[in-house]
Amino acid sequence: MAVVMTLALGRNYGLGILRVLEENSSLVLSEGTIYPILNRLRQDGLVDSAWVESELGHPRRYYVLTAKGRERAVEMANTWLQLAAGLERLARPVLGRKDDNHDGSH
Amino acid sequence: MTGPTNQYLAELRAALAGMTITEREEIVEEIRAHIEERSTSSGMPIEEVLRRLGPAAGLARDYNNGALVRRASRSRSPWFLLRATYHWAWTGIHGLVIFFMAFIGYAMGAALIVSAFLKPLFPENIGFWIGPDGAVFGMPSGRQGGRELLGPWYTQVAILLGLAFLIATTMAVRALLPKLKRSHRLARANTENAVPMA
Repeated sequence: MAVVMTLALGRNYGLGILRVLEENSSLVLSEGTIYPILNRLRQDGLVDSAWVESELGHPRRYYVLTAKGRERAVEMANTWLQLAAGLERLARPVLGRKDDNHDGSH
Repeated sequence: MTGPTNQYLAELRAALAGMTITEREEIVEEIRAHIEERSTSSGMPIEEVLRRLGPAAGLARDYNNGALVRRASRSRSPWFLLRATYHWAWTGIHGLVIFFMAFIGYAMGAALIVSAFLKPLFPENIGFWIGPDGAVFGMPSGRQGGRELLGPWYTQVAILLGLAFLIATTMAVRALLPKLKRSHRLARANTENAVPMA
């Protein structure tokens, strides 16, 4: 899901995706895991890829979401936000109760 | 490219031998580009870059497992599906259970169909028997007494039941393999203190 979300921000390549995730979230990803995932997403028709020469002098394989991939990204985002909202409703009273306990002890 | 990099890529290429040349070379080139960029842009030693990628055999296994599950989930060949489940049986208890389920399902289906064709040759020994020991479908061993219920209809019934076993097993394996792959990836991600990424 994190890879699809990153590609929803724009085209990127394996190491670039890892960097975006490291910089924008607390996700720590195994470097060897991302390439088989990108390969599977490509086989499933969710991403397309193209080799582009980089400024460093070696080619990079860039990935971009297809129309199907963009649809899947929207579905994933909606599912995640619903899940997060549900968990937030459960978590908020826990914090409130903790604050009450703190107040009561003083 | 350094010696360790070339050795790593050679191991990766060898472990991806089951793929087409185009697929394999694209994967190798992508990993080569990753190693080059990691080491040149951040100055990371090659040994550390390779360590972060994990063993070449493990990386190839992830690619191969993905390809195998993808082909298996589209295939209707019991032999291919059984091979795919055998491959996943080594990855954990869920894989092992699915392999045994597939093995038993296909073995039952095949045994019933074989017994259907043997029925005309051994009409007294093959059938659906009801007796003091309960019901037995197929060829009872060392059994005395009992009554055979189906007679010549055994052939048709056994073929239908055998086909039903083969079809049900195929459908179950095709449905379960992708779930197995997802759960395996999740478990691996958790082990590596990572998250599900796709």
